[in-house]
Amino acid sequence: MHSGQSLVVPRELPAAWDAVTAALVSPSSMSQPEESLSQAVALLCSHGLGQCVEGWLLETMQVRLTSAVAPEFWAGLEQPENELEERDRARILLQAFRTLLARLEPFLGGLERLGAWQDEGRGGLFGPGTLGLRERAFSMIRAILLSSPSAVLQGRVLEIYSRTLAVHMSREGGGEAAPGPDRDLCPGCATPPQQCWCQEALEELQEFSRILSRLQLLERVSSEAVTSILHRLVAQRMESRCRGEYEVSFLSDFQQWLEGVLGWLSRVFVSEAGPACSGEERGLMEDGPSAGEGRGIMEGGPCTGEGRGIMEGAAKAQPGGAVLQRWRCHMQQFFCRIYVNMRIEELFSIIRDFPDSTPAILDLRFCLERTNQRQQLLTSLKSAFETRLLHPGVLTSDIITVYISAIKALRELDPSMVILQVACQPIRKYLRTRDNTVRQIIGSLTGDVDGCIDLANELSRADPVTLETQDSEDEGSDPEEWTPDPTDALTDKTGSKRRSSDIISLLVSIYGSKEIFIDEYRTVLADRLLHQLNYNTAREIRNVELLKLRFGESHMHLCEVMLKDVADSRRINTNIREEERRRWNSPVVCQAMEAYTHRYEKLKAMRTLSWKPHLGSVTLDIELGDRTLTNLSVSPIHAAIILHFQDKSSWSLEDLSGVLGVSQDTTRRKLALWQQQGVVQEEAGGQYSVLEAGALRERPERGVLLIDSDEEGVSNTTTQSEQREEKLQLFWAYIQAMLTNLDSMTLERIHAMLRMFGATGPVLTEMDVNELQAFLERKVRDHQLILSAGVYRLPKSNH
Amino acid sequence: MASQNMDPAAASSTTALKGSETGGSAARGSVSKRLQQELMTLMMSGDKGISAFPESDNLFKWIGTIDGAQGTVYEGLRYKLSLEFPSGYPYKAPRVMFITHCFHPNVDEHGFICLDILKEKWSALYDVRSILLSIQSLLGEPNNESPMNAGAAELWENKEAYKARLLATYKN
Repeated sequence: MHSGQSLVVPRELPAAWDAVTAALVSPSSMSQPEESLSQAVALLCSHGLGQCVEGWLLETMQVRLTSAVAPEFWAGLEQPENELEERDRARILLQAFRTLLARLEPFLGGLERLGAWQDEGRGGLFGPGTLGLRERAFSMIRAILLSSPSAVLQGRVLEIYSRTLAVHMSREGGGEAAPGPDRDLCPGCATPPQQCWCQEALEELQEFSRILSRLQLLERVSSEAVTSILHRLVAQRMESRCRGEYEVSFLSDFQQWLEGVLGWLSRVFVSEAGPACSGEERGLMEDGPSAGEGRGIMEGGPCTGEGRGIMEGAAKAQPGGAVLQRWRCHMQQFFCRIYVNMRIEELFSIIRDFPDSTPAILDLRFCLERTNQRQQLLTSLKSAFETRLLHPGVLTSDIITVYISAIKALRELDPSMVILQVACQPIRKYLRTRDNTVRQIIGSLTGDVDGCIDLANELSRADPVTLETQDSEDEGSDPEEWTPDPTDALTDKTGSKRRSSDIISLLVSIYGSKEIFIDEYRTVLADRLLHQLNYNTAREIRNVELLKLRFGESHMHLCEVMLKDVADSRRINTNIREEERRRWNSPVVCQAMEAYTHRYEKLKAMRTLSWKPHLGSVTLDIELGDRTLTNLSVSPIHAAIILHFQDKSSWSLEDLSGVLGVSQDTTRRKLALWQQQGVVQEEAGGQYSVLEAGALRERPERGVLLIDSDEEGVSNTTTQSEQREEKLQLFWAYIQAMLTNLDSMTLERIHAMLRMFGATGPVLTEMDVNELQAFLERKVRDHQLILSAGVYRLPKSNH
Repeated sequence: MASQNMDPAAASSTTALKGSETGGSAARGSVSKRLQQELMTLMMSGDKGISAFPESDNLFKWIGTIDGAQGTVYEGLRYKLSLEFPSGYPYKAPRVMFITHCFHPNVDEHGFICLDILKEKWSALYDVRSILLSIQSLLGEPNNESPMNAGAAELWENKEAYKARLLATYKN
C-alpha cells in the first residue's frame, strides 16, 4: 500500500471500497448508480488502491473455489451411484456443472466488469483488461478443479457422450441396426420407447457443452473422452463391417458415417464451432453446415468420379470451424491407419481373392498413400507368403496361381511396382527350386492345366516379352511423367529401369532366360504331338504363333520344324498306307516297322526313320476265347506284354520282366491294366495267365485310349532335371576345353569366357559367379580340377 | 526333325556371306555366329585328343590342342596350335600353326604346316573339328614326298632314331 502520501485514511475510503467490491461480487445488486461507483473507483485509485481491487477479486474467487465450490462440485458428482440409472447419472453430471457455473458466475461477471473498467481506464484504473482477467480466472478454475484427473468425471463424461452419439446416429439414420434381443428398445437410448429420453439427452448435451464452453473447460474435459469413443467406434465398425469382406469399398461408407459423427461433434463443440452458437444452438443443430451442406458437397463436389476424392472434397467446404476440421482430419488419419493395419493382416487373403477383392485393394491403396506403412506391409506380406505359401505342402500350380494374383493385385495397389518386386522376391526364389515350375507355367500357357486359365488369355494379349534382365530401349515415356522410385525400392537392380508388370514376362524371367522356357515348351510340344494320333495340330500351331509373338521367330524355330514334320508325316503316312494297304495287325511289330521304314526311305530320299519304340501308342484288337476287344489304344509296353501272351498263355512275373527287359516292378504295374480289362489274371505263385473265358464284365468303350494312372505326369521325353544335367555336362566341356587350351585361369576369367562364348548354346547362362565357384569347387573335390594360387587348371594326368 | 537341314537362318547367313566376301561388319557378325556354332559342336562332340577354345575375348583367334594318336611315335605328346580365322571364313581357310615345336616332315621350324586342306583343298564344309582331326592324323602319317623338314622325312623310316630325335626336340 502506498501509504506514504498520507497517513490519514479519509473517511469515505472504506465506504468506497465496500461499494466497489460489492458491485463486483454480486452483480445482482445493481442498485448503485454507475456515477457513484465511478466516483468510488476514482477515490480508490487516487489513494493508490486501484490495483488492490483486482488482486482482491481473484483472491476471493480462489478462496471460494478451494473452500466451497470445488468440494461442492465433487460431492454433487459423487452422489451414491449404486442404484442410479444412466439417465439419472447424466442428470447429476449436468446438475453438478450447473451448480458450478452458478457459483462462479458472480465472479466471472465481476471480473468482466472490472475488466471493462480497466479497458476504459475508468477513474484512472488500469490493468490486464477483460481478456487478461478472463484468462487468469479460467486458468485458476482449471487448476483448482481439474488439478488431478478424476475417474468419476471421466466415466460420466464418456457415458453421456457415448449415449448422445448413439442418439444422434440413430436419428441421422446412420446408426447400426439394433441387435436382435433389443429390437423393442429405442435404438438411441436403449430403453423401451415409452421411456425414451433421447430428446432429453440431446438437450442435456447442449447445456453441458454450453457450460463447459462458458468455463472454457471443453477441451480439457471432452477431448480425451471424444477421442476414445471415436476410436473405439471406428475400430468396432471396421471389425464388424470390413474384416473378411473385400468385395465392397468402405471409403464412401466410412465418409458418410463420419459426416454423421461430425454432426454430433458439432453438438459437443457447439460454442467453438462458430460464433453463431452462443444464442441459438438449436438452429445450428438442425440446419447447420455439417448436416446439410457437407453432404451436398460430397455428392456434387470435386469427387473425381470414383468417389475416392470424397475425403478431401468434403473437408474443404466445411465452414464448421477449425475444431471440427481438426477432428475430421484426425478421424480420417485414424481410419486410414487402422484400415491399413487390418488389411495388411489380411493381404494374403485379399490377393488370393483377387480380382473379386479389387475394392479392398483400391481402398487400401488410398489409405496407404496417407500413412507411412509401406514397410510394414512389405514385411508382413513377405512373411505371409513364406508361412502360407512357400513350403513343400503347396502345389506348384497353386503357388503360381497366387503369384499371378499377386502380380495383378499389387500392380493395382502400387503402380510403381516396387511392392510387387520386393514382396514377390521370395516367391520367385522359391519357384526356382521347384523342378516342375516351368512345366506348370507352360501347361497353363497352353491351357493344358486346369486352374490358371488366365495365363492362356494373357498369352493372347501378345505384347512382345521384354525380359527384366534386358534393357528396354523404348524408354519412350514422357520425361515429365517420371517419378522417383519410392525409397523402399530394391537397389540391387539398376534402379531407374522400369519394372515389368506383365505377367508372362515376370513368370518367364523367374529363371532369367527365356531359353529354358522355350526348351521346355519344345519338350511339352513333342509329348503332345506324340500322344496325338490324328495329326490335328491346329491348337499347337496357334500356340506356337502366339509364343512367336512373345519370344520372337528365331526362338520358336525348332517348334515350327516339329509341327512341319508332323504335317509331312501325315502326308507320307497316307501315301504309304495307300500304296501298301498294310494294316498294323502283324504280331511282330518290328517287321511292320521295318517295312514302314523301307517305304519311308523310298519316299524321302536321304532320310531314314529312327524308331523310338517307347514313344507312341499301339492300337490292337484282342481275340479271346469267348470275346473280342477291338480298337484298344495302349502304350507300346502294354502291347508288348500282351503280345507275349499270344505265344504262351501263362508267364511268371520274373520271366516276363526278363523277356521284356524291364524291372519286375514296372512289369507288375503295367500288367495291372490288362488285369483291369479282364484279359489277364494273376494266379497263385505269381503266375499271370490269359483269361480266355472271362467272367462277363462291362466292356470298355470302344476305342478308348488306355493309359494307366502311373503314367500321368511322367513325361516320355526328357524331364527338366535331366535337361539340366545334360546342360551341366556341356558346361563342363566348355570349361575343360578352356583349361586344356589356355592352361590356367582365374574364376573371373572362366566366368567371363563362359558368358562370352557359351551364350549361343543352351549353356546355363543364368549361372552367376558364386554358383560357378560352387560348381568348380565340386570338380576340385572330385579331383577333376586343381585350384592353386587362385587359378584353376586341369590335373596333368587328364590326357 | 528332318527339316532342320533347311534352316532359314543358316541359309540367309550364307547368302549374306557370299555377297560380301571382302569382309564387311555384317559378314563379321555372321562369321562370329558360325564360330560360336563350331565351338559348341566341338564341345558337344566329346572327341578325345583334340580341343580348341578362343584365346581371349577375340572369337577369331583360337588356341588348339592335339594329343599324339595312340600307336604312333607321337603318342603321349601334346601339341598346342594357333588358329586364326579370316573375316571371309569359312570361304577362306583359317591360318593354322604349331605353337609347340613340332618335329615332323610337314612342319617347318616356325610351326608352318603343309597340309592340302589348309591350302588349295580348303572347303567351306570343313570346320575346326575336321582341321584338328586332319592334323592329328597327319602326325602319324606324314607326306614325305614334299617335306618342309627334309631331315625329319629322311629319319621317318627309322622309328627308333626318329623317336629319339622327336623327344629330344619336344618341349612343352
